[in-house]
Amino acid sequence: MIFSLLKSRGGLFFFASVFYCLNASAHNKVKPAGTTSAINYSAESNRLNVSAFLDKETEIHKAIHFKKEVRGTVSDSSGILANVSVYVKNQPKIGTATDQNGKYVLDVPDENSILVFEMTGYETLELPIKGKSVINAFLKVSHQGLDEVVVVAYGKQKKQSVVGSITSINPQELKISSSNLTQALAGKLAGVIAYQRSGEPGADNAEFFIRGATTFGYKKDPLILIDGMEYSTTELARLNVDDIASFSIMKDATANALYGARGANGVILITTKEGKEGRAKIDIRYEKTMSEATRMVQLADPVTYMKLENESVLTRNPLGILPYSQEKIDNTISGVNPDYYPTNDWQNQMFTPQTYNQRVNFNLGGGGKIATYYIASSMNQDNGNLKVDHRNNFNTNINLKTYTIRSNVSIKVTKSTTALVRLFGTFDGYTGPQTSGSAMYLNVMRTNPVMFKPYYAADSQHRFINHILFGNAEVGNYFNPYADMVKGYQQYSNSLMGAQAEVQQDLSGIITPGLSLRGMITTNRRANFSVNRAYIPFYYSTTSYDKISNTYRLNDLNADKGTDFIDFVPGSKSVLSTFHGELATNYNRNFGKNGITGMAIAMVQNDVSGNESTLQRSLPSRNITLGGRATYSYDNKYFLESNFAYNGSERFYKDQRFGFFPSVGAAWSVSNESFFDPLKNIFTKMRIRGNYGLVGNDAIGSASDRFFYLSNINMNDAAYAASFGTDGGYSRPGISVARYDNTAITWETARNSTFGLETTLFGKIDITAEYFTEERYNILMDRASIPNTMGLEGATPKANVGKSHSESVDISANYNQYFTRDFNISIMGNFTFARNKFKAYEEPQYKYPWSYRVGQPINQQWGYLAERLFVDEEEVRSSPTQVFGSTKTMAGDIKYRDVNGDGVINQDDMVPIGFPTSPEIIYGFWFTSAYKNFDFSFGLQGSARSSFWIDPASTAPFISYRYKTNDPAPDGVLLNNQLLKAYADNHWSEDNRNLYALWPRLSHNLNSNNNQPNTWFMRNGAFLRVKQIQFGYTLPANTIKKIGMSKFRVYFTGSNLFTFSAFKLWDVEMGGDGLKYPIQKSFTIGIDAGF
Amino acid sequence: MKNLNKKTLLAFLLTATILSCKKYLDVVPDSIATIESAFTLRTSAEKYLFTCYSYLPLDGSFNDNPAFNSGDEVWYMDPIRDVDPNYHNIARGLQNTDNPLGNFWSGTNRGKPLFQAIRKCNTFIDNVDKVPDLDQFEKERWKAEVIFLKAYYHFYLLRLYGPIPLTKENLPISASPEQVQVYREPVDSCVNYIVSLLDEASNNDMLPDRISGTENAELGRITKCIVKAIKAKVLVTAASPLFNGNTTYASLKDNKGRQLFDQTYSAQKWERAATACNEAIEFCQANGYGLSTFAGNTGYTLNDTTKLELDIRTAVTNKVNNPEVIWANTNSRAGDMQRYAMADIAPFTSTSNPKSIIAPTIKMAELFYSNHGIPITEDKTYDYNDRFALRTGGEGHKYYIAKGETTVKLNFDREPRFYADLGFDRGVWFGNWVNNYNTYAPTGLFYVQGRAGETAARQGASNYSITGYYPKKLVNIETTVAADGNITSNTVQYPWPEMRMADLYLLYAEALNELNGPGPKTNQWINAVRQRAGLKSVEESWSDVSYSKDPTKYQTKQGMRAIIQQERSIELMFEGQRFWDLLRWKTAHIELNGPVRGWDITQKDVVSYYKPTLLFNQRFDLRNYLWPIQLNELRVNKNLVQNTGW
Repeated sequence: MIFSLLKSRGGLFFFASVFYCLNASAHNKVKPAGTTSAINYSAESNRLNVSAFLDKETEIHKAIHFKKEVRGTVSDSSGILANVSVYVKNQPKIGTATDQNGKYVLDVPDENSILVFEMTGYETLELPIKGKSVINAFLKVSHQGLDEVVVVAYGKQKKQSVVGSITSINPQELKISSSNLTQALAGKLAGVIAYQRSGEPGADNAEFFIRGATTFGYKKDPLILIDGMEYSTTELARLNVDDIASFSIMKDATANALYGARGANGVILITTKEGKEGRAKIDIRYEKTMSEATRMVQLADPVTYMKLENESVLTRNPLGILPYSQEKIDNTISGVNPDYYPTNDWQNQMFTPQTYNQRVNFNLGGGGKIATYYIASSMNQDNGNLKVDHRNNFNTNINLKTYTIRSNVSIKVTKSTTALVRLFGTFDGYTGPQTSGSAMYLNVMRTNPVMFKPYYAADSQHRFINHILFGNAEVGNYFNPYADMVKGYQQYSNSLMGAQAEVQQDLSGIITPGLSLRGMITTNRRANFSVNRAYIPFYYSTTSYDKISNTYRLNDLNADKGTDFIDFVPGSKSVLSTFHGELATNYNRNFGKNGITGMAIAMVQNDVSGNESTLQRSLPSRNITLGGRATYSYDNKYFLESNFAYNGSERFYKDQRFGFFPSVGAAWSVSNESFFDPLKNIFTKMRIRGNYGLVGNDAIGSASDRFFYLSNINMNDAAYAASFGTDGGYSRPGISVARYDNTAITWETARNSTFGLETTLFGKIDITAEYFTEERYNILMDRASIPNTMGLEGATPKANVGKSHSESVDISANYNQYFTRDFNISIMGNFTFARNKFKAYEEPQYKYPWSYRVGQPINQQWGYLAERLFVDEEEVRSSPTQVFGSTKTMAGDIKYRDVNGDGVINQDDMVPIGFPTSPEIIYGFWFTSAYKNFDFSFGLQGSARSSFWIDPASTAPFISYRYKTNDPAPDGVLLNNQLLKAYADNHWSEDNRNLYALWPRLSHNLNSNNNQPNTWFMRNGAFLRVKQIQFGYTLPANTIKKIGMSKFRVYFTGSNLFTFSAFKLWDVEMGGDGLKYPIQKSFTIGIDAGF
Repeated sequence: MKNLNKKTLLAFLLTATILSCKKYLDVVPDSIATIESAFTLRTSAEKYLFTCYSYLPLDGSFNDNPAFNSGDEVWYMDPIRDVDPNYHNIARGLQNTDNPLGNFWSGTNRGKPLFQAIRKCNTFIDNVDKVPDLDQFEKERWKAEVIFLKAYYHFYLLRLYGPIPLTKENLPISASPEQVQVYREPVDSCVNYIVSLLDEASNNDMLPDRISGTENAELGRITKCIVKAIKAKVLVTAASPLFNGNTTYASLKDNKGRQLFDQTYSAQKWERAATACNEAIEFCQANGYGLSTFAGNTGYTLNDTTKLELDIRTAVTNKVNNPEVIWANTNSRAGDMQRYAMADIAPFTSTSNPKSIIAPTIKMAELFYSNHGIPITEDKTYDYNDRFALRTGGEGHKYYIAKGETTVKLNFDREPRFYADLGFDRGVWFGNWVNNYNTYAPTGLFYVQGRAGETAARQGASNYSITGYYPKKLVNIETTVAADGNITSNTVQYPWPEMRMADLYLLYAEALNELNGPGPKTNQWINAVRQRAGLKSVEESWSDVSYSKDPTKYQTKQGMRAIIQQERSIELMFEGQRFWDLLRWKTAHIELNGPVRGWDITQKDVVSYYKPTLLFNQRFDLRNYLWPIQLNELRVNKNLVQNTGW
């Protein structure tokens, strides 16, 4: 209550009682609540005291006497604002507050005065009067968001007393024209490293790490807590920005220590909105988006494809058999019969350039003295850009519909007891291609453009057939990506339902003042299933081409196997159940200048999965925490905080199960010291803080390594079967060890410290800068000292032996300026630089220093230094031996540097190359301005210091490439990689011996020399992107009020419009995965209406 | 109000109780499988026994047998299709240390992880006595089998890498880094250890002499016959030039200065080998093993020529009661390989048709003897210089070459094994395809038509023989291709012959020749093999001056050595033997250093088709005699030395 009425800015406290008194004299009827407490509090604050004010009452009356009346309405983006303080600059005693209709009336002493509008949570606005008598004000939500109260682990704290490193953001700033919240994180929050690798609806989550990934276990991303409950990245992605009340990132030990076992990678803490007392407020938002690929991979034309495929055979083996006859090439060029001599632009045949998506959000909030409510629901529909064959009666394009519903109800059971119930559900309904959208893109990249058409028109012999006559060749074992795409579809459904009940009991009046108790239980059920339905395509090849009549016949390739009816393939199913319970006591009291808070928490969590493949994975995952926090503050200048957590995880052996994670921190508000006053003109605020502590991580190794202390034996392993008897009829499976038992495995621990500086310059520019270091130790890693001669099988034995060091600097700055009443701008910038290196890494004793990982970043790549391409065979012979196992090295292949000079190119010559694969720098710059009813904003986001590699295997032309994991193409079909236009234009050939060509000598199979990790295919991942541009128009409040609306805004947003990068083959942010579903740029038109 | 407070306190106490109970984190039930579980019941111990067997290299798969594609017997199209390229790349000189091909040390690139196999064998030997419900008889038998396997895995590694670390006992998982840095042992120590294990196995009375009467369930299990035959092979290998006084490896010493190859030649090694061969042969013969002939029934009356061909073909591929095969490896049965060997001898529509990718080289076709049973270079009547000219098949060859059809002269006047083992353009292919068994009217039999546009010719990027020859030998005569060309549905899978009598006889002949030189005692073993192949004895064949250029060749030790080596290469061709033989004879740097040729299979017209076409120029460096140890293993274990030249 106190906090909602107090405003701390520029070191001054203003409080409503002042205005109440003033207003009384100014014939204003407004009576803000809570006056008494405010006065009490202000007495303590030693800033402005009421008695002083009362003494001077007469003087004020005198001052007001001659003055002019100014009136107006104050509003914000969602409508009129009540209870806004309005006063004359430098004369805080002359002021008032707005009424329930947002109106104010004030007598001012001077026509040249400046009016100041202030309200908690909003940016202070100053408007000159300049003789006008009506001054309407528009307040913007403060960029500091929750200026006074921030959400911290298991509770809330006054912002000025926070010692840990917490970045909060106004949730509205996360609003982007995408239905995936994770895409909004990059460049918005200092301390977050984020990037997006795919644009496929349903699979387009950005990856994000707090201060970079500093471990190499399976979980590197932060703990995500929504209303205190743990959620996955996808569940965060589905969260609707309009429903978020607060969004904070907690970055260091003081902030995270209470999450002990799970907090080492940082925590994202989100709370959802509660209803506010008052009449029901309804908000509806509708958006329609058009999206298209930021950049498509360019492929060579079909004729070039054939010519170069022929070249690829002959250039390696002059005796090789040519894949295409000159006759086929000539006839293709002449276009004599495009059915018999096809030229396919598979991208165009399979994908549409644009697709349209839409989103609707609805929320309703309000309440009375006893209960408040907030109800929200949303519906998103995201479509892919795959073409649909309308001869099928099903949709094979991606159609992802997500629905959310949320109901937060808060009931005041007694004066001191509050009960909250939160119910919510997230539901995904998907239909789409049988594999995935990315699979379609990958498939196109592996299909020959000249072998057959996607489908043929029926010839006379097949005119009564009513199935689609898909194209294929030879015996029908080539891959037809079109047939694969349209032959069937996948349907999946995900649902998450949760219920949360919380009781808060204030014990102030019962036991001791300032004591309260809070208990919460949450349970979630997640379920998903998928089914596939498809027919088996009928394939036809063209045959018996008659040159004279220019006709051909269709040859039936799989009449016995094809089906023209749809069949069903069951997919995956999973069910998960989570229970979370916590009980906390809070103590919060001030004794004079001393402020003390304390908290104790007990938490249990239990997760069970219903569809696991192994016994060990089927067992429940459990965590328990006992923790506490104590803070002490003196005179709003000095702050101390200590946290601890005692955590247990079921993954470890009995004596390793519990970990203790303490932290301490301190802060000093220098600007509250009297000696600082002379500097206040420049440094309105200055605060330094630092902390030190431990945080743990039990999510180490891989998710399937459930119990390190147990061996994992497969007693029926078919891979180790043997069979005896004439026909092998007597067979038994074997016994294998997937993992040996190890009772010594324990927590990974991070010991980190932060030094932070917060300052406000000239009252306008807020700067927060932090320097953070972390020593992470007990990192689980493979023993490197075990030779194969030991004969161990399964997973390499592991130990907690790794150590890493990471450091990060993150800076954010905000600047707000109101030039006139109608025109303001705000600028926000942030910058994160995070890097890490191994301090200890178990590795063999290498001969050469450059082979060691210690001292190198975690995501560092090793590779060969490519000098250039070999000039001729003589050079190959006279150079150090370069044999990599599957191809003979020839002129035009990449020549590597013999780093150790031993005459052989082998692993000893591999050195650290490039930057790490994950960027070390992420930065953003955001500009917002409003002029009258128009608003405009744009944002730039950039990334630097990362490297990626063009995959010389998946992009290698003509070869039959299969992905090592989850290859979407069915087993057995023949694949032919496409030829990238860039390679066609710029490769080494015998006629054009360009020693620095993009692509080395062509090859018809994967060239193991050129496929080594090397600098030839290394690219810089840095980019700067125009992330978002938005124009908006808000209808004047008085216009819409007539039709019962409080707000009506239309806006237009463009996302990912331009990217600046030297890399042109595909969108640079996709890194080495550029052949997948491309990142999208989008154009959105939206309407936001409030009632 | 007070009431509520009490409830909250109660809830707090309850939670605290749960928390204090650390059992909350004990989620694992007691009876989770551990390695001890394998030795609590006979059935699980049996699974562990089978696990020990499961590491046997898959020699019956041409993609997995290192000796199949690594040498000069067969070749593949470039770019290679549908064949695992690992071993073929060894033949192409692409072996390397970063990521060795066929890495049996670590179990990658088509190698089996043999050190894992040895660890499993040791675990079995250490624990099998604990199994409560296992008879003493079975315990002993199983233990003997596993001791053999342990020896065999060591031998396999020895043949690949030369000196190897011996894993007599397992090191504990918690062993210190110093303990696990093992040393390679000198070759002679390795051999002695392997032999001592083999002796231990064969001295075990519970090990059966041979599988008899229980073939349906037990064929493939280790027997005394197998142990003794493998012991013969181990000792012959150890006595061979690669391991007997090989000065190429004079410099191969470990960091303690130990010489890993004994530098002095020892004739006594041959004596030990000969004794072992003799013992093995006598023991196998006493147990009913001998050279086999065709005993089956095709349902047709066979002429003598075809009968002889079937004698030869069935010696390897016959699956039931084959008295020739001492060790039939049922874990690696030749199945798919037959599809890759078989030619499309008739039109087909099925996509499961023969793939015919395995392509014997012209060099192999030349290696077979003339119809006089001697090398074609030594036969006066054989027009060697004109061997690539053309000739039309007549009455005399009608069972071998389609009558009235023209093919290259090289395919004429050859020994029966040539026709039994090789398919070639215009060559008759008896059996295997439905309606291809009519021996009365040879013109009615199918024959291979391999020229461009013909049935067996190259049609796409894959599924063709790059040389125009086919390893007919590998196709079981009862493997039948259906009328539509489907071969996969009726492939008769035969257990891979790891060891057969002809092999043993030729090993004995080799050992005796090295020990005592030629003579009736030496020659009888090679002559037995020749007799089954329809050839006269060595003495008769070489001494007939009407065609023999070098009638006294067989009388010298050196001449006899060449005869035995060629005989072995012919008799055991495509069985994964020649490559090992070339290595142990130290002749690989001569044999595997030359052109690889095939016919010009893209040609339509007969004259152009029979132009020998260079496919590759093979190179074999001295370092290739032994496999390289992966660089990373040397980094982990400083006590290992790399093989010379790598």
